[in-house]
Formats: sequence, C-alpha cells, structure tokens
Amino acid sequence: MFYKISVPAVADVEEIRVLEWHGDVGHHFNSGDLVVELETHKAIVEVRAGQPGVLRRILSAAGNWQQIGLPLALLSDDDGDALPDGPDAVTDLAVEFEIN
Amino acid sequence: MSGKAQFATEKIFFREAIARAVREEMRDNPRVFVMGQDVGAFGGSYREFDGLFGEFGAARVRDMPVAEAAMVGIGVGAAAAGYRPLVSITYMDFMMLGFDPLINYGAKLRYKTGGQLTAPVVVKTTAGAKGQGVAHSQCIEAWLMSVPGLKVVAPSTAADAYGLLKAALREDGPVVFVDHKRLFPVAGEVPLAQAIVPIGKANIARSGTDLTITTHSFMTRVAMDAATLLQSKGISVEIVDLRTLAPLDIDTIAGSVKRTGALLTLEEGQVTCGVGVEVIARVHERLGPVPSARVGALPAPVSSNRVLELACLPDATRVAIAVRNLLNPVTASPRPVVSSGER
Repeated sequence: MFYKISVPAVADVEEIRVLEWHGDVGHHFNSGDLVVELETHKAIVEVRAGQPGVLRRILSAAGNWQQIGLPLALLSDDDGDALPDGPDAVTDLAVEFEIN
Repeated sequence: MSGKAQFATEKIFFREAIARAVREEMRDNPRVFVMGQDVGAFGGSYREFDGLFGEFGAARVRDMPVAEAAMVGIGVGAAAAGYRPLVSITYMDFMMLGFDPLINYGAKLRYKTGGQLTAPVVVKTTAGAKGQGVAHSQCIEAWLMSVPGLKVVAPSTAADAYGLLKAALREDGPVVFVDHKRLFPVAGEVPLAQAIVPIGKANIARSGTDLTITTHSFMTRVAMDAATLLQSKGISVEIVDLRTLAPLDIDTIAGSVKRTGALLTLEEGQVTCGVGVEVIARVHERLGPVPSARVGALPAPVSSNRVLELACLPDATRVAIAVRNLLNPVTASPRPVVSSGER
C-alpha cells in the first residue's frame, strides 16, 4: 500500500521550503524516524514517520517550496509495489511533527 | 554578466530578504552596524537578522535593553559621528519613545548644521495588527510623513524590502523602514544580483482602467485580493504600491489617476490625517477634482480580541464595496462605516 507525506498545517504558515530529506529513495523508515525537515518563516518543522514505510519518490526536493497541505513524497509498505500515477488518491502516512 | 543572469531571481522568505540586504551592506561598509532587542544571537524577533551575529560579531550586531529612546538616540549620535546604524524597534508603537532623538535631532541635523553633519540612520520597525492588542498593532507611518528631513519607506514584497533597505542604508539622512507582522510569513522572488529599489519610486502592482487604489505594505495584498473580487464584477482596478511614503511619488500616482479617473486610498492606519489624505490632496493639486475616497481602520484602538480586531481593519470585501460605491454612487449600497471620513 502507498502513502504520502504532505506539508502539515502549521499556524500562520502559507508555504514552506524543504530543508533536508533524511533518507534517499529506497530508505526504510521506522516509526519515530525523522523523515524530512521543513523550514517555515520562523521555525524548523521536523516530520517523523508514525508508521514504518519505504521512501519511494520525493516530490519536493531539498530547496523546493511547497504550500500547506500539498504532497512532499510517496512511501509504501514494500519496496516492490508499482508506483501509482500520482499522489492524489493516496492515503496520508501517519506522521508526527514537531516545531522547533 | 548576461542579461538573463542579471534578471535571475531566487525565492526567499521576507525575513531573508531583510537579512540579505543588511548582510551585503555590512560587508560593503564597515560603518554599518545593527542595534536592537534580540538582534544578536537570537537573530531578530522575526529572525530577520539571522546569521549576522555569527558573521559580524557583537560589536556590529548589538543587543540592546528595552529602551527605545536610548536606542534611537545612540543611533542618531553614532550616525552624526560617521557610522550608519540600523536601529531595530520591534513594534512600531514604541517608536513613539524615540521620536525626540529621531525628529528633533536626526531629521534636522543636516539643516541645523548647514550641511556639516548628517544623520544616516535607519530605524527599522514592524507595524500592523496580528492579535497583539492596542499598543502592539498600530500603523503610525502617516505621523512621520510630515517631518521635513525624514524619509519613510514601507515595502509590500520581499524584493522591495531587500532593495529599499539597501537604499535606506546608503542614504545620507534618517530613513524609517516600516515592515509588517503579516508580511513575514510571505516569500517572494528577489534578484540574485545585488540591486537597490530607489527611494521615492512607487510601483504599479496591477494595471487597470476604471479606478486607482493607492496603498502600501501589507494592505497591498488586501488591495490585490479586492481587485480580483472586482474583476469578476467587471471592474478593472489599478493598484499603485506607494513603497515610499515620504517623499511620495506623485508623478506615478497622478499618472495612474489621470488614466483611470478615480482614486481610492487604502491604509491599515487611521484615515484622519492619514496617508490617503495626503495622496488625495496632492492628486487634487495636480489634476483638480477627481472622485475619491479613503479606506482605513475604524477610529478605534485595535483590540487583541480577534473579532474586534477584524472589525477594525480593512479587508478585501470592504475595499471592494468602497470601490463600487465610489464608481456608482447613485445605486450604491449603504456606505460601510469603515470606508472613510465618517468622523
């Protein structure tokens, strides 16, 4: 099954800049692992996996901008599953995020 | 440098545009320094001075106590002694404490000394309402427009913040640089190559044919939203982002009003003796009578209560109603109490 990570809704923020991905495509994340750091106008948002998953496609690379609620990456349960056409119909990955 | 490279841009946060302008000017001129509350290791209240303390150290990025009168006074004095200080006053409301050194000394120094001394100081401050109540929300830039010797700039975009702050740091007299709390979440394209935005030049932010809105700072975004609403009703609005309030770019303003034939002024501050009054008077001097109206805050303090704050401030709907009333006074809906001149 596929999942997507989207930009979490952070108060007062319109869009973020992707600061750093903590794993390349194919990386297996466990629950609690730091997946990506996002930069808002005044803080760093750490997005952590809330469930295990494999990073399959990065939709917004480090340095790119993305609006609140829009997708950043696709993940799946297994390495082998064929990628879907796009992120639209994909369920959200359980995530935890922390604003520093 | 090729033409393409010259116009290449990068998208950065509003705060980063400010930091970049200050960093470049500090690198270019060792007499530029920053002073203010939390400007040092903390990087500024909006992180708009991020990285400067690390690069330039405590002697050139100086944390100050909560003492605005002293900060502006030291800034004006240091400027008279040959430095180019940027004094950061976090809330524009508290610039009031620095008015004596800024207005009685800084703005008059060149005149009073027959040109022997100047005060090239920039007072950077943040105006506007964002839930912080009566004494942390005000837009008092209109008060400063009437001071001879003082320049006032108020950008609405990251690019203009960058270019105007660089220009301000090169001026030979005091400049008040006004930004806005609600502009800090914004990002925008800024030229990769160093560039200044000249003080005294307005920008036509949107072209239109039926009416001109003059505005500045965050209200430029409100005006743009109103123009989008009005476009769906078949009304074409031109928006002049003033960018500099003193001196006003009357050529650009009057040129626009001459084309459109009607003028609405929009500001977040009070309309009585506001920016709009001056714009309308100057346009009248140039063009004679033109249908015109003002939109600004209600004549009330800005509450920290969100409902009351929203009630006090102009928004796109109010601007759109005021425009329609101005263009079509016969069939107009009742004037909104906020539109103008009701006092």
